[in-house]
Amino acid sequence: MKQPSAVSNNRSNTGATPTDLQFLRLLQIHDSAFPIGSYTQSYGMETYIQEDIIRSKEHLIEFCSSFLHQNLVYGDAILIQDAHAAARNKDSVRLLELEQLCGAIKLAKESRDASVNLGRQFIRTIAPLVEDPFFDEWQNRIKLNEVKGHYAISYGIYCAVSEVAVHHAVLAYLFASINGLIQNAVRAVPFGQNTGVQAMHELSEEVVHATELVTTLTEADLCNNALGIELASMKHEYLFSRLFIS
Amino acid sequence: MPNVFQQPPLKASRELYEGKNPMATVYVMESSGGMVAGDRNDISIRLKPGSDVRMIQQSALKIYRSHTGETCVQSIDVQVEEDSRLEWMPEVIIPFADAKFQMDTTIRVAKGSKLLWGEILAPGREKRGEVFDFTSLKSTMKIAVDGELVAFDAIHFTPDTMHYAQLGMLEEALYIGSIWLVSETSSEIDLRNIQESMQVGNGLRAGITRLSSHAVHCRFLGVDQWQLQQEMKRVFTELAVRM
Repeated sequence: MKQPSAVSNNRSNTGATPTDLQFLRLLQIHDSAFPIGSYTQSYGMETYIQEDIIRSKEHLIEFCSSFLHQNLVYGDAILIQDAHAAARNKDSVRLLELEQLCGAIKLAKESRDASVNLGRQFIRTIAPLVEDPFFDEWQNRIKLNEVKGHYAISYGIYCAVSEVAVHHAVLAYLFASINGLIQNAVRAVPFGQNTGVQAMHELSEEVVHATELVTTLTEADLCNNALGIELASMKHEYLFSRLFIS
Repeated sequence: MPNVFQQPPLKASRELYEGKNPMATVYVMESSGGMVAGDRNDISIRLKPGSDVRMIQQSALKIYRSHTGETCVQSIDVQVEEDSRLEWMPEVIIPFADAKFQMDTTIRVAKGSKLLWGEILAPGREKRGEVFDFTSLKSTMKIAVDGELVAFDAIHFTPDTMHYAQLGMLEEALYIGSIWLVSETSSEIDLRNIQESMQVGNGLRAGITRLSSHAVHCRFLGVDQWQLQQEMKRVFTELAVRM
């Protein structure tokens, strides 16, 4: 299906209301069974679990809240927002800059590798479902190793060419990232299913606030204050027994 | 040193040599005692091809209370050209209560050249009980090797609106230390060995990781300044020998 250009798109001024189809598309790509391997990543959480620091629902919520507000919002979320805008403007030069930034802000090797692995798997899985020359060009650059293929950037491009509004792209990404972490904690700590459900329920409100905040941020705001999580992600490389890749 | 341009309060010492060691040591001095509301320090360092330099900050950098509401800015711009080697030994940066500080460091390293860089941030004058009482602290560190951005480390602390002690943030830590290494021989360094020989505990945590383009990053989070500095010095020296 060829996508109409932004100029001729008569849905553009109602972008904050997803159509049923766009809503279902988001549900599908963020399903934990969507085969990009998010269930294999803990982004440093496993280090905390092995050090017996995450023992209760309250600890889990505190950890996820730091990851959400001090890492994702000021990192991937800004990059998704900017990649979405760049893809709508067909601005490949800007996307290349964002790719470099996305790799450079992820200092811990395993978290950086996770971003590339998820991104490449995402592109491979979604490519047969998308007909868009700009998206194809990006996929080609990844195949040719001209770009690494970070998840946040490819996801931003996919949402742009699929007419998913940036607001919902960011909202769904933040929700799915936190939900993925919680699911992984339920299996690894382990917690009961109800603990996981309650933790996500409580954090959903924070995800909504976080998404609102992202709209006020730009590249100049990129940062990572969740230094404890970053350090745990560095140390994860050297753990002897591990359930997760990061 | 072929060229030195300096304006008070910043001053670079003349280059010093230890015996027959060809490495030049240069001290960077700040004679004012600290930065006050709206002060700006610009430091540009360019290593011409074949240089071998160790730069040492003479003393801790103090950022005083921003009584005018303006932000103090320190900008460091470094270019390490071909076949060169630069070491920057860290001193502590201390933001006093109500200080506003922004620090931007950009380092460009030519392919094949070497860099070893350290940085330590304090929460304030901790021994006086001044801990995270500053208004804002924003620090960005960009390292590019042969044109590729390999590290973009940015933190932005506004203690009034954030819970720095929260799980996943600084937790009990007060001091933040960072070491950056760029060297083509870094791929031969056994990082697991360094990680496992870190003298951590008693509030000190540390981690080491590989960046792209033969770069390595090491982070320290500590409760005690002296303990963190001692361990950072030890790792710094170990990396200096192997770079």
